[in-house]
Amino acid sequence: MELSDLIILDGGMGTQLQALGLPMGQAPELWNLTDPDKVTSVHRRYVEAGSRVLYTNTFGVNRMKAARIGHSVDELVRGGIRCARAAAAGEKVRVALDVGPLGQILEPLGTLRFEEAYDIFREIMVAGADAGADLIIIETMSDLYEVKAAVLAAKENTSLPVWVTMTFEASGRTFVGTTVPAMGLTLSGLGVDAMGFNCSLGPKELLPMIRELRRWTDKPLILKPNAGLPDPATGEYHITPEEFAAELVSALGDDVRILGGCCGTTPEFIRALSAACAAAPAETQGVPPVPRQSGVSSATRTAPFGGVRVIGERINPTGKKRFQQALRENDIDYIVAQGIEQQDAGADILDVNVGLPGIDEPEMMTRVVKALQAVVDLPLQIDSSNPAAIEAGLRAVNGKAIVNSVNGKAEVLSAVLPLCKKYGAAVVGLCMDENGIPPTWQERAAIAERILNAALAAGIPREDVLIDCLTLTVSAQQDQAVETLRALRYVREELGLHTVLGVSNISFGLPAREKITVSFLTQALGAGLDLPIVNPNQGAVMDAIAAHRVLSGEDRDCEAYIRRFTSAEAEAKTPDKPKQGGSMSLADAVLRGLKAETASITERELETRGEMEVINELLIPALDRVGELYEKQEIFLPQLINAANAACGGFDVIRARLARSGEQSVSKGKIVLATVFGDIHDIGKNIVRVVLENYGYTVIDLGRDVPAQKIVDTVIREDVKLVGLSALMTTTVASMADTIAAIRRSGHDCRIMVGGAVLTPEYAESIGADYYAKDAKQSADIAKLVLG
Amino acid sequence: MEARLTGIDRRETLQYLGYLGSPIPAELEAEIARCEGEILRTARPRAHWRLYGLLPDGSLEGTTFTPQGQDVPELLKDCSRVILMAATLGSEAEQLLRRSQVRDMSDAVILDAAASAAIENVCDNLCEDLAARFAPAYLTDRFSPGYGDFPFAQQREFFDVLDITRQIGVSLSESGLMLPQKSVTALIGVADRPQEHRHRGCPSCTLFETCRFRKEGKTCGAF
Repeated sequence: MELSDLIILDGGMGTQLQALGLPMGQAPELWNLTDPDKVTSVHRRYVEAGSRVLYTNTFGVNRMKAARIGHSVDELVRGGIRCARAAAAGEKVRVALDVGPLGQILEPLGTLRFEEAYDIFREIMVAGADAGADLIIIETMSDLYEVKAAVLAAKENTSLPVWVTMTFEASGRTFVGTTVPAMGLTLSGLGVDAMGFNCSLGPKELLPMIRELRRWTDKPLILKPNAGLPDPATGEYHITPEEFAAELVSALGDDVRILGGCCGTTPEFIRALSAACAAAPAETQGVPPVPRQSGVSSATRTAPFGGVRVIGERINPTGKKRFQQALRENDIDYIVAQGIEQQDAGADILDVNVGLPGIDEPEMMTRVVKALQAVVDLPLQIDSSNPAAIEAGLRAVNGKAIVNSVNGKAEVLSAVLPLCKKYGAAVVGLCMDENGIPPTWQERAAIAERILNAALAAGIPREDVLIDCLTLTVSAQQDQAVETLRALRYVREELGLHTVLGVSNISFGLPAREKITVSFLTQALGAGLDLPIVNPNQGAVMDAIAAHRVLSGEDRDCEAYIRRFTSAEAEAKTPDKPKQGGSMSLADAVLRGLKAETASITERELETRGEMEVINELLIPALDRVGELYEKQEIFLPQLINAANAACGGFDVIRARLARSGEQSVSKGKIVLATVFGDIHDIGKNIVRVVLENYGYTVIDLGRDVPAQKIVDTVIREDVKLVGLSALMTTTVASMADTIAAIRRSGHDCRIMVGGAVLTPEYAESIGADYYAKDAKQSADIAKLVLG
Repeated sequence: MEARLTGIDRRETLQYLGYLGSPIPAELEAEIARCEGEILRTARPRAHWRLYGLLPDGSLEGTTFTPQGQDVPELLKDCSRVILMAATLGSEAEQLLRRSQVRDMSDAVILDAAASAAIENVCDNLCEDLAARFAPAYLTDRFSPGYGDFPFAQQREFFDVLDITRQIGVSLSESGLMLPQKSVTALIGVADRPQEHRHRGCPSCTLFETCRFRKEGKTCGAF
């Protein structure tokens, strides 16, 4: 079976089994063991109708469901393959191990960890390969991250071909927001053998989407739609087999070679489809390839290569004391805030560098990549010289990333390029090698070519090789700026490659740096730079890029430019709010929730007082006053939080000042917070965190769905004296009791406070908690009592 | 019929925020309006429902599902058919709620409250559409697992029968929690005679023991 041939798949399985007596709500996979003849009979009817690939009846098999129905994954998979194999006997028919979604939402939205999803899929893939599947079909997927876990599990543990189909809504996105370009770019990169869509919609609705997918991948395409849209009352479909076949066969004209049916389709649909394909005109059988669009992507946002795409440089500890401190103190929130700020400022891609002596870089890379993906949409550039950290980042990325970087050194190329190939990343090649950075543009261009050839040999497509001609500081090596620009022009025009360039370095050591930086950036863009690495928070830099996009024709009708500058003018006209705070007191600013004012008043106060004095005599009393008003119900929850946020502005000023002077951060003591195992509702815990942090405590937030052991380990390792636990549901309060018992068993001396909607003071006492906190204000009172 | 989010009731948003009648400064009023607008723009509500025959033994025809307890049979006493429904604000709103908790907690609590009010609106609209579709038959109130003595533990069966994860992208965790969080499952009886719309009242609420409105001698307004 060649993938260039036309391949007919099978149709719906669930509805066929229901017609044979399977009640709704019962696991169809159980029949692989209890009623294998019925399962085989459905497969057999599909073979007779023309199916050349049978999907096994294993869609919902995974270790969670297997446990619920009392069988092992291996038994259910083996049974499923046996049923399909029996129907395929004597025919040229392949058996595909059918792997569906796990039914649990992955991080960051859900709590199922990527690594755990991989492990669950691994068990299924290995069982399928052992039982003799011919290929693996991962289908009905909504979450690209889950697909990635499944594809890696298949490719790392079996040698079978891997096909993937995802399920899209009419909006062009999946339930969790994955887009068609993200799917095409990511799965092409991961090296699946074919991809496409199944379920959800009928052929008519899926055709425009498969055309879009064709633009982003040159892999063979699969289409396995539903029989139109069902009647909601009955779930029945009304399209006829002939109508279905006629609509679906038109996909041949869009170079879709693998066709079948999903929900609501029957052997009659597949028979009609086989007939329609056999009768299809010859010209639909060999469609010329569509030119492919390249780029990088997160699961929800794509940065297509071609125009200028801004790579934000701020997530990088080099030369930044505050960032280094955040890395050392595991302050992931600070790092993530840098990502948010850059996305808001217009970055298209975020560079992520967490390399610092004394840090476990691979581990930190995984954590930061995951934390960023939880809050920003942008594609990521994994920036490290440590191959283990690069791989950790590439594994954790949801989407298609860039690796920054390789250079002309043979050992670097051989260590990093295979990783780029495996995970489907684009790669930045620096024009330098064991002899350093060559002084002439010709030598740099030669290294670029060497890198390109090595990448091509490693199987990386040409359009994913991005060259960095390297910026040198103009005040130190004045003749080099021109060489960089010449090399850049050659790489762009003669090699036809996309180019990356870190721009800011050019002006190091000069006054009015921004003028040199922007001028160099403008010249580099003119020479063909399309992936500048800059600080997007610098308005002048982004202004220059906005202007360039107009002049290059990328910004059609100057739309983005006009939007940028008309809103800027409007803002300039409105008089600035009194940022100096005027005569306002710190307490007023905090009470009214004014963060900028609180920060500037704090600055002012620091001119005459010490840091601790400002904290203890101004900030904390201001928060106490807010707390009192909240208790008296003169203000309500959003005001309490706004005040805490405002106080945060003051604390940030003090923290930054202490980081500059190299002192330890101020802290009134450490508190561990966690939403207990099994519970995912953590908004209450997050409110408590904000309030406690702004009273000056160091909060170690373990997140939600936290196993008891992790809490115990952290409390002991960090020698924490106060733990706050939250649980929202009656079903998870039991887990809170277990957690408290585990902490007590460990013998570690600490107090435990608990909170959550269904808790009462009596219940809190009965499960062994020391304190019940009815709200965030009370948790701060308890902290004061325990830690001072 | 499409799931419809047609508006957010400000009073409901305030109730979910635990508002007890203190003066609301203008900036806060504006922040609440902005957050409600953001939910209305971001949410992509989805709903899914199926109609089943109700058999004399209390089970739903063609399924493995028999609602347990006394309250559901009481609700369905005049009914020969039952609708199972599920509705969600979708992962887009969930993502907004999660991200806001990193960006700004004050926005986060307001967005959360507005989203709770929004999913109520979606459910109300769906019930209205269903009532129109099934007229001249009459619908009962909607009743969710966890209400009264309808066991919360039956949520899993509810999900399996209605194929909710595949249909509208809501998943159920091992501990029985739905994701996206702003999602609702419920059953609704279809009867041939008018149904009393019971105001179920505080005693049947799962938050009866701890409700902060009740502690203040007030109600949340839902009943």
